[in-house]
Amino acid sequence: MIEIKHLAKTFSNHEIFSDINLTVNTGEILAIIGPSGSGKSTLLRCLNLLEQPDQGEVTIGDSHFTAPHISKKQAVKIRQESTMVFQQFNLFRQKTAWQNVAENLVTVKKIAKTAAKERALVELDKVGLSEYANFYPGQLSGGQKQRVAIARSLATDSKILLLDEPTSALDSELVGEVLTTLKSVVEEHPDYTVILVSHELEFVKEVATQVIFFEDGQIVESGQPKDVLSHPQETQTQRFLSRFTQQTIAQ
Amino acid sequence: MPKLIDFKMIFTNIPLLLQYLPITLGIVILSMIVGLAFALVIALVRLNKIPVLTQFFTLLVSFVRGTPILVQLYLSYYGVPIALKYWNYYNHTNYNINNIPAFIFVFVAFAVNEAAYNSENIRGALLSVDRGEIEAAQSLGMTGGQILRRITIPEALVVALPTLGNQFISLIKGTSLAFVAGVIEMTAEGQIIAGRSFRYFEVYLSLAIIYWGLTVITEIIIRLVEKRINKFRTVQKVVKLNDALSASSEVTPIKRPVQVLETEIK
Repeated sequence: MIEIKHLAKTFSNHEIFSDINLTVNTGEILAIIGPSGSGKSTLLRCLNLLEQPDQGEVTIGDSHFTAPHISKKQAVKIRQESTMVFQQFNLFRQKTAWQNVAENLVTVKKIAKTAAKERALVELDKVGLSEYANFYPGQLSGGQKQRVAIARSLATDSKILLLDEPTSALDSELVGEVLTTLKSVVEEHPDYTVILVSHELEFVKEVATQVIFFEDGQIVESGQPKDVLSHPQETQTQRFLSRFTQQTIAQ
Repeated sequence: MPKLIDFKMIFTNIPLLLQYLPITLGIVILSMIVGLAFALVIALVRLNKIPVLTQFFTLLVSFVRGTPILVQLYLSYYGVPIALKYWNYYNHTNYNINNIPAFIFVFVAFAVNEAAYNSENIRGALLSVDRGEIEAAQSLGMTGGQILRRITIPEALVVALPTLGNQFISLIKGTSLAFVAGVIEMTAEGQIIAGRSFRYFEVYLSLAIIYWGLTVITEIIIRLVEKRINKFRTVQKVVKLNDALSASSEVTPIKRPVQVLETEIK
């Protein structure tokens, strides 16, 4: 479960958001949609303390923190509660696919290398990449890289998945394979709590249990995907969604 | 015409001089290790902008890079005893300067010199490491130390290695100045042999051959290391899952899980 209370974040005079309140129950898949620069990613990164929130309280899994006073030790523990998939994949380029997946197991969980490798190969197989276990990220396509990153996240056994625009950096023909993988992941793990920041509205409609529309650091609208996406109540949401439909038609 | 050059002597000198190779290599390796560790500390302090220490190290780096190594050796040779006397005076101890081997003066000078030169190089290399990879490591729950050891330093090494290699080679050659601080290494021994036989040219030619050989060997080693740490740029082969599993451990190959990825999203 994730519970956010009065979360605030400012980047040197530029306020990203000042009072975010949000609850995501275990097993829910929350999708955050909204224009670029609205603070969606920052919100996600605050949960993983990649950004230090200025104020607020967060309960994530079994951990709880009150910003801004978070010790380094506490931060490490909080980060282990969740796992993140990044827009730019962020694979370790000097490590092979299986080493990327096994890194958390070896370093954080202190599992023996052979056992970690076995587990890594199983996770890679789940995303359809076991044959590429010995490949370095530089030799993989964008879609393959992101699937390795998903396998890396799954190997951590964290039950909270933070997906930060997982397909935004991909060529359009590679988006499908990553979405297929993500879909099978959430279907296989109904107990996972997921926050997904994405512009893939069709995908959001398909997998999300809850959607919020985010603009200028505010939660403008929230509800069931079919309500928010098909019958938006707020004018801002309507405007955002109509831009999307126009784009789709133009394409 | 008298024999102007004793060719035979050039080669007979080499084994005599090589007896002092361990001293030369000792200075090189010790000051390189300590120098690199110190350089990493300086780089990290300056990157994290730790007050007071940053300014101190900036000053130190500027000073060391702005003065000749020969002068630094003399400063160490005369400075360490003075420091020791102050120490004795304020702490009421009675350490004797004569008990400190000359090796220490040389080692201190070279280590500080190496640290100063390499710290800038290391700082640049650390800055070149992809921020995203560090964030990924953080989000995996790795501690600062683990990230430094497993991600940042290996990646920075790829960038820093060519410069570090050059610095290592100039350190090997730089040790030939150690005699000014009273250490008998290869060059000092050469001077002793030359003083005895008056065959200066031959001795220095022998020394030149030895240093040249050392440099060539070092270059080969650096090239091998470079190849090793750049392995991630080489192409790998496709390996079937079960082959990979049986190659990696003694476990029996697993039954392939049901393919769940075939459903296509509309």
